[in-house]
Amino acid sequence: MNVSDLAVREPVVIGCDATVADTAALMTSSGVGCVIVVDGQTPVGIVTDRDIVTRGVARQYPSDGRIDGLMSLGLIALDVGHDLDDLLHVFRDHAIRRIPIVDHDRVVGIVSLDDIMVLVAEQLSGVSKVLAGQIMFPHARDEAKAPAATS
Amino acid sequence: MFANVGDELIIEGHRIGEPRRVGKVEEVRGDDGGPPYLVRWDDTDRTTLLYPGVDCRIEHLTGTGKDS
Repeated sequence: MNVSDLAVREPVVIGCDATVADTAALMTSSGVGCVIVVDGQTPVGIVTDRDIVTRGVARQYPSDGRIDGLMSLGLIALDVGHDLDDLLHVFRDHAIRRIPIVDHDRVVGIVSLDDIMVLVAEQLSGVSKVLAGQIMFPHARDEAKAPAATS
Repeated sequence: MFANVGDELIIEGHRIGEPRRVGKVEEVRGDDGGPPYLVRWDDTDRTTLLYPGVDCRIEHLTGTGKDS
């Protein structure tokens, strides 16, 4: 599975000179808890609703202050050409919860750890149906058993 | 920020006890040595695309670095 298949949601981006209040308003109107901060088209950081609370409100950072003062730096991204396995490696290696997907320096999507959990849950659901069938119809297993050896 | 292929990229830990991350620049995607960089990390030996922040510095191991 390609990462672009997982990045189904449009990324929500905001300019690095936007204010904290602007960002919070954008999160509210877009229904997201995470925004990618860009300088022009180039991503320069990422900010979550939690960042606004813990780095902003808790430290009395002004709501009209620039959002790049709160954002997380050192953005780890993945090119569109990568697959799910690459994505899982990045989540594991970097202990992050969201990965922007980029195509030639332009953010085209974002994949969160929650998206992966939903995917895994759906796949497990398919497997669990097989298990449930075996539990509900145990004779199917009996029929599959090899015949006992006769003396 | 400016980097050449082969330069070392270092991100210091943000909390006490958090180790620094060190990697090698394998590809420079930006203009004139600018980011993003494809970095191979020493601890995992895997590559990721990085848009470095101000907490990141470049050790110029190759060529002539303009700045860091």
